[in-house]
Parts: sequence; C-alpha cells; structure tokens
Amino acid sequence: MTTPAPGTEDVLLDCRSLWKIFGKQAPIAMKAVQERGLGKTEILKEFGCVVGVSDATLQVRRGEIFCIMGLSGSGKSTLIRMLNRLIDPTSGEIFVKGRDLSKMNAAELRAMRAKHIAMVFQSVALLPNRTVLENAGFGLEVQGVARDERNRAAEASLRKVGLGDWMSRYPRELSGGMQQRVGLARALTADPEIILMDEPFSALDPLIRRQLQDEFRQLTKDLGKSAVFITHDLDEAIRIGDRIAIMKDGRIIQVGTAEEIILNPADPYVAEFVAGISRLHLIKAHSVMLPVAEFHAGHPSADLGSLPVTSPEADIDELIDLALAHPGPGIAVMNGGGDPVGVVSWRSLLHGIKGSTTSEAQA
Amino acid sequence: MDTSAIADTFDTLVDDALIWVSDNLAFLFDGIRTVFEGFYDAVLWLLDLAPWFVVAIVFGLLAWRLVGRGFGVLTAVGLAACWLMGLWPETTSTFALVIGSTALALVLALPIGVLAGFLPRLDRFVEPILDLVQTLPPYIYLLPAIALLGFGPATALAATLIVAMPPAIRLTSLGIRQTPVHFVELGQATGMTPGQMFWKIRLPFALPSIMAGINQSLMMAFGMVVIAGIVGSGGLGESIYEAIRTLDIGKSIDAAIAIVILTIVIDRLTQNLVATGKDTA
Repeated sequence: MTTPAPGTEDVLLDCRSLWKIFGKQAPIAMKAVQERGLGKTEILKEFGCVVGVSDATLQVRRGEIFCIMGLSGSGKSTLIRMLNRLIDPTSGEIFVKGRDLSKMNAAELRAMRAKHIAMVFQSVALLPNRTVLENAGFGLEVQGVARDERNRAAEASLRKVGLGDWMSRYPRELSGGMQQRVGLARALTADPEIILMDEPFSALDPLIRRQLQDEFRQLTKDLGKSAVFITHDLDEAIRIGDRIAIMKDGRIIQVGTAEEIILNPADPYVAEFVAGISRLHLIKAHSVMLPVAEFHAGHPSADLGSLPVTSPEADIDELIDLALAHPGPGIAVMNGGGDPVGVVSWRSLLHGIKGSTTSEAQA
Repeated sequence: MDTSAIADTFDTLVDDALIWVSDNLAFLFDGIRTVFEGFYDAVLWLLDLAPWFVVAIVFGLLAWRLVGRGFGVLTAVGLAACWLMGLWPETTSTFALVIGSTALALVLALPIGVLAGFLPRLDRFVEPILDLVQTLPPYIYLLPAIALLGFGPATALAATLIVAMPPAIRLTSLGIRQTPVHFVELGQATGMTPGQMFWKIRLPFALPSIMAGINQSLMMAFGMVVIAGIVGSGGLGESIYEAIRTLDIGKSIDAAIAIVILTIVIDRLTQNLVATGKDTA
C-alpha cells in the first residue's frame, strides 16, 4: 500500500503520466522519450513504434463521471484499457483506491477486476448461448458465487435497467439498446465502485442513445458509482460527464467541466470542437455577468433593486426568459446570502450566447 | 552419372530403419495392436449386440430427431438395404472401423489442435506436417502399418487414424485462434483465470469449428477404410477389394452402394450435430 498524496482521499482512480508505446522496441523508445523528449513522429521514424498514449494524467473522484472524448485514433480506447490493465502501460503509475495496479500479481489483478472495476464494451459482448439473466450474472459466475445468489443479484440489476421482464430471453431476441442495458446490468451486478464505459452507446440510434445517456447518468448518481466514459461525441460527453478530458494524438489536451472547456478552450482544436455546441444550458450567469461597479458605470441611472433577480447558477436559457419578461437594463445576480455579485446586461448576455468576448466582461 | 545408386542407398536405409524399428520396438507395436484390436472389437460387439432392424430403427429415429422425418425414413431404409444386399456384417465392421479410428484420432487431434491454437510456434511446426500427411496418397500409410502391425483391422485402424487426424487438428486450432477479441477482453475484464477463459469463452466459440473438424475427420476415415480393404481390414472395403480381384462387378457395386449409404448417414448426422450445437449449447 502506498500512502495517498494529501487531499486525494476521495480520488478512486489516479493515473500519473501514463504512456503506451506499441512495438517491439517500445522500452528503448520510451527511454528515448524520457531522455531526449522525442515526439510521436520521431518515435515512429526512429524505432518503428507507435505512440498510443503519451503522458496522460488524470484523477477520477468518488461518485464522479469522467468522460474522455476524442476522435478515433486519439488513444482513448488504449487509455481506458490501461485503467484495468487490459493493456499494460509502457510507463507511468495507476492507483486504484490507493493501490498500485502495476505491482499487483495475476491473482490480485483478477480480484481487482472482478470486484472493483467493471467494464462495458461498445460491442456489448453478450454470450449468445446464455440467457439475459445468465449474462447479467456472468461476473459473479466467474467469481464462483452460487447460482441462487448470483441470479438474485443479476435480477436486481436487470430491474434497475428496466429489463425485469426479459430475463429468460436470449441476447439475439433483444434490440441493440436493450442489449447494451444488459451490458450495463452485467457491470452493476458485481457491485463495483468504478465502471469503465468504452463507447457503449456509439452504435445506437440517436433517440435510444439519448435515453440511455440520461438513464446511465441517473443510475450512476443514484448508486454512487464512479465511471470513466469514453466517447467520440462531445454532446454525449457534455450530457453525461461531470468532467471531460479531451484527447488528441494520444495526449490529454484539456480537462475540465463542460462550461470551463466551452468558455476557455485550451487550443484551436478544442475551440473548433466546441464551436458547434449549444451554449444555452451550459453557460451560467456567473460567467457572463459584469461586476456591479462596471454595470453602474454604464448605466448610472439604473437602480439595482428594481432589476429582476437570479442566482449565479442560472443558465443562459433562464436568463433569456427573464430578460424577455422584464424590460429594463439588466438582471441582478445574487448569491445565496442575498448580496449582489454582478449584473447581466443585455450586451453581456448576447456575448454569452455568441461566445465571442465574454471573458473580457468576466475579467 | 548413375543416380540409381543414390536412390538404392536411400531405399536400403529406409528398409533397414523399418526393420530395426519392427525388431526392436516390437513390444510397443504389439501393445498398440492389442489396444487397437480391443477397441475395434468392443465397438463391433456393441453394434452386433442388437439385430439389424433394431440398429436401423435406432439410427432412423436419431436422424429424424437431428435432421428431419424424411431423412429419418431414408436412413432406416438405407440401412435395411445394406442388410438386403447381404452386407450387414460388413456394414457394421466398416462402421466400427470408422468410429474406432476417428475416436482414437480425436483423442490425439483435439489436444494437439487446442495447443496449436494457443501456441503459434507449435502451429507453424504442425502445419507443414499436416500438409505432408494430407498430400501423400493415403495408401502409402498401409505399407509401414503392415510391417509394424501385421495384417488385419489394427493396421487399417492405424492407417485410418493418421488420415483422419489432420482436419480435426486444423479446425480445432483455427477455432481456438478465432475467439472474438471482444469476448477475450470481456473475460479478462471480468477477472477470469486462464482456465475459465478456456472453458467459458474460447471453447464455446470454437465449438462449431471443432465439430466441423470432427465431421471432416469422419469423412476422411470413410475414404481410408475402403482403401484399407487391401490389408484385410474386413468390412465393405475388403468386399470391394475381393470383388475387384474376382472381377465381380455386381458385388462391388453392392458394396459401393452400402458405403455411400453409410457415408451419407454419418455425414448428415454429424453435420446437424454441429448446427444444433450452435443453437442450444
């Protein structure tokens, strides 16, 4: 056991500087990276090795849904497979509940996978010759739990995903969305703290997908589970994730909440991604408001007391509704104690919608 | 240059080696002979336990259950025809040879196939040997078998065994190698031991391929059992060989028909075992 770093008691999954280099000469290439700081293209040229993930550091807290978003080839699937060591990292450390994954022997690793980290796959991978109930109880079967007990647990988790009436069916009788629910139920049956979701909804059609996204988020929160969720779809990451990491070419280029990423994209690549995202429900009043003094300077005659009032957490959609209902120069933003913390003027609201120069007003 | 001297030297070497083996390892081959003959006699005893019509009805019902009513009737009628042609004892002994040799072949071939599926290096080593076994004319195996095991069903069994093994090895190895990647990942992510991975993931997915291999092995065995008539295997093969020697065309055609009937019955039955295995296993 290693002692957790201070202030990280609630971090369930802690990855420090993970690297994955594929190829016969991976160890030498890794050394060259550390000593000479070679980049992806030099590594490929010099050693014939492909850098899958480079220097990925991330923490997942208890009860958090952490999304990793990237296009195909960005290394997200490799990264998630290192979190339960389906792929061994070339370098770096992974701590799960404070225990170093790389120092575990085969039996310890099996126990960790069986009890603490479950995984849900894009391909679902339901065993075709087993019923839905048997599939949902598969993890416990592997652990050697008696049939009655595992059937009870499997039934409970199938009910959670709304498939209580389908237990004796076979996977081929279920639609794609239902199959993925079974995949989720199978992950829940072993009652793990962490669920790894590898693009689970990517193959589903849009309506079913949204429904499953909402259900998944609700269920994870209700059960107090932590999840790492891989997706290539930023909308999905925003709907589901508490925090989002954006990957490109094997690197994590930005980590933050949806609002943070949209307001302050780390580079033009991220900016291009977030350009098409609807901001109405993501940007909050505290991000678009002006300081009280600045508002007064612009509107000397305005009386703060006569303005409509809202909270710093109100989103742009709510602000627009308020603005339409109340003629006047702005909306006062009050904190929990009833003190004014800022004012949203029409101008700053439009900036917020447009996403152009809101940061100027913030600063 | 006289190349015949080289060839003669080679032939002498081979002959000497064979003689050395048959002289010095006689105890081994006597043992093999005893085991093979015992096995053959046991299967034959089982088949001869019941009168011909009971066997025909049992197989007819089995065919009905596995394939369909039409084929069930056809099977019973076909086997009855074998009896009508006066070839029932030959039919059961051919059947015993095929079943016996295939069963022994599978005992060896399935573990080898599984190992080759896991170890690419073993697979690369086994492949060319199987190619050789399959491309040599099958009756080549009869001569050394006679030298080592003598004349009779044990020899036929040994030669047939060699011919029946390759398809089962190949298709078992293929089936093990072709486990879908995402199911292997599922097994790993669920915390499976290597043993669980084999029994719960790899073997079930390899089963259709393995069953196809068994079916192919049976068919190879049928082909060889007929050829083995030359070495006194007994059964339909020997009937045909006798008929050829005496130029008795009618009799040879009778025996050929019996073989065709037997082959079709076994082929369809095992093929449908594969299909039902896929649905319910």
